[in-house]
Amino acid sequence: MNEELLRVEHISKYFAGVRALDDVSFNINRGEVRGLVGENGSGKSTMIKIIAGVYEPDKGDIYINGNHYKRLTPIISIREGIQVIYQDFSLFPNLTVAENIGINRVISKGGRVVNWKEVYESAKEGLSRVGADIPLDAITGELPTADRQIIAIARALLEDARLIIMDEPTTALTQLEIQHLFKTINDLKKRGISILFVSHKLNEVKEISDSILIFRDGKKVLDQEAEELDIKTMEYYMTGRQIDTSSIAYSEPEEAPPLLKVENLTLRPCFSNVSFELKSREVLGITGLLGSGRTELALSLFGELPAESGEIWLEGKKVFIKRVQDAMEQEIGYVPEDRIKEGLFLEQSISNNLVVTIIDWLASKMGIIRNQTKLKTAEEWVSKLEIKTPSVENPANSLSGGNQQRVVLAKWLAGNPKILILNGPTVGVDVGSKAAIHELIRNLAKQGMGIILISDDIPELMQTCNRILLMRDGRIVKEFRREETNEEELHRHLVAAKN
Amino acid sequence: MKKLLNSHEFVVFLILMIISIVIGFRNPLFFSASTLFDIVRGSIVYCIMGLGVLMVLISGNVDISFVAIAAMTSYSTHMLLLGLGYNGGIGLYLVVSIVFGLLAGLLMAFIVNQFDLPIFYVSLGYQTLWYGFNLFFIGRAMNFNLPEGLVGYYSRFLIKVKDPVAGETGLHVSVVYLLIIAIFVWWLLKYTTFGRGLYAMGGNREVAIRAGFNVKRITYLMLALSGALAAVAGVIQGAYSRSFNPVLFMGQDLDVIAAVVIGGAAITGGRGSVVGTILGVLLIQVLNRGLIFLGVSAEWQKMVVGLVLIIFISIPAIAEQRQGRLKYFPMGKEK
Repeated sequence: MNEELLRVEHISKYFAGVRALDDVSFNINRGEVRGLVGENGSGKSTMIKIIAGVYEPDKGDIYINGNHYKRLTPIISIREGIQVIYQDFSLFPNLTVAENIGINRVISKGGRVVNWKEVYESAKEGLSRVGADIPLDAITGELPTADRQIIAIARALLEDARLIIMDEPTTALTQLEIQHLFKTINDLKKRGISILFVSHKLNEVKEISDSILIFRDGKKVLDQEAEELDIKTMEYYMTGRQIDTSSIAYSEPEEAPPLLKVENLTLRPCFSNVSFELKSREVLGITGLLGSGRTELALSLFGELPAESGEIWLEGKKVFIKRVQDAMEQEIGYVPEDRIKEGLFLEQSISNNLVVTIIDWLASKMGIIRNQTKLKTAEEWVSKLEIKTPSVENPANSLSGGNQQRVVLAKWLAGNPKILILNGPTVGVDVGSKAAIHELIRNLAKQGMGIILISDDIPELMQTCNRILLMRDGRIVKEFRREETNEEELHRHLVAAKN
Repeated sequence: MKKLLNSHEFVVFLILMIISIVIGFRNPLFFSASTLFDIVRGSIVYCIMGLGVLMVLISGNVDISFVAIAAMTSYSTHMLLLGLGYNGGIGLYLVVSIVFGLLAGLLMAFIVNQFDLPIFYVSLGYQTLWYGFNLFFIGRAMNFNLPEGLVGYYSRFLIKVKDPVAGETGLHVSVVYLLIIAIFVWWLLKYTTFGRGLYAMGGNREVAIRAGFNVKRITYLMLALSGALAAVAGVIQGAYSRSFNPVLFMGQDLDVIAAVVIGGAAITGGRGSVVGTILGVLLIQVLNRGLIFLGVSAEWQKMVVGLVLIIFISIPAIAEQRQGRLKYFPMGKEK
């Protein structure tokens, strides 16, 4: 069991003089699940790519199955049984499940002719190795994320993987799907396959890993058994500072008429008879599994998926939201999940990124945008949100991850909404930036905004929300007050909502 | 069975049938062997070129230079063989022009691969280049001198029919070339790693590279084949029309691409089929001829064909939009 599969020694890697990895050594044993955590830019991805043979290390040695390498190529890495499952799963969306799993074997054999019987058989074999049952003729792009992940794992297993590197495997999964993935990982482990589990989500890394590696600024700062670690310690090593999540000075909602009142809002089959209130200075969490109707509800409030029936009241006035423009007129802002991840034009300046949503207001009657106005607005937001940059003219990619997230938020805040709907604002965000975003959310509420936070990240809900609504099958089934509940209770209800 | 009924090809086939029946009811002359054979003959060269276009589209690229390659290869072959005093049939014409076509395709692939350029960009210049090559180096006028072996090629039929209006007509022998080519391309697409590589590239180029597909080699083969098919089409067209034209097919590049897209190929890559391509070309031919039978003026014809194209291009987009909307209804799947 404790036989060594992979060992890297004193690996260093520089990019244009910038140090990405600095003298990193570690090993992975057979049948071991290794967690690897670190903030953005800590060197995790560089390490993955070195093991996968994509990058050459500048210094150091790699030993796989006892063979010594100064550098790897993708082919050598695959031959040694190393398979990387990237976040996008590297699948062909237009092809069938069978072909996605089986085609690699045909190519790696160097064949010119495709034997479909063989493709189907190897696909079946691959899926049976994962113990999953997915229709082989389904078009991959039409399947849910969890199934696509299974397909990627099945394909890796067919290549006789001895080490599977999973890069942020749980980002797009629901709680239940994550539990399934963990079961799969444990099965693989029993069969002697090693896993390198790379993730931002510390509690998940702790749950699944035997031992955990933490990288910071290109250095290995911790390498310890998972059992001996707690989340607090992991956070400390990851960020290099203590993150305070306990004391939450969240604002008391106003006792005025509610900012937003929703009555019997219905859009079949997504949700029906949804009623709730949102006060000014309040953060209202909406949680539920994927498919519970939470995202659809948010899109209804934002006019993207107008509701069929029901009423929406804003500050005591009945309003009709049939289009996105209606919602914007009523000063409702919506920050979708993927905007946070991909909502920046990285090459463009920070100021350009900041003003993109309000570009119409900044333009003069002739449609010309005055540079002066633009810069002033941008600088205002930079100081308001404490974005750390020497100049707003720097490109967005010069910022650290957490500051980039602030730019994305600022972009939506620039429209000055009264109600802000955030859908999964910290999905795929590392711990440090996450804490910063939570603080920002609480501050915004303090200033009088009403915030709806949609998330299935329970600690996040507990740290930011005044109240939390639980949705199941398109209905609100329970309401929790933050001070009257705890993480365990919420988690129980969330997962139970499935059955 | 259900899969067949849902397929894009079946929809095109159905519409083709409906249009034919409607036209036939308005003008029963449309339902005749001679009309059918006429449509088939008119479709053959476009089908052959279309199959080359199909491969390029599936790989996620667009090439508009194939028309110029058809012109260059057929015209150069003709002038070359004429100069050598060749007197035989179409066989040597095909062999020589295919060699030219392969070379033209390989050269284009070399440029594309060497500088890592999108095929479309290169093809913009490549089209003009070959038309210009024809006019400058080979000749500026259409040439009507045929070798003996090609005289009467246009009326060499497999099945002959007597038509009261058109006289003697029939199913042209070149349909055999189309059949062979169609089966060959179908086999390539379905049963070779080259063919699956085209779909893979069109689905996600990065992933195709990671999966071990030799994308550059696939590009060489794809453009060489596409060039060869264009060459075959050029020669057959020259033999039909009893003349070789230095600016053959000029301006018809987009018509062919449109027919292939009507047949279900995605302009963004990853989707398309041989059957669909042939149906797409037939649909346009039936429309063109059918409208003549209905007495619709030529100006209107253009408009109708344009409208049909827009409708067909919208079908996959609408389907995708619906699927996109379905993402908002994941509950439907669970129940």
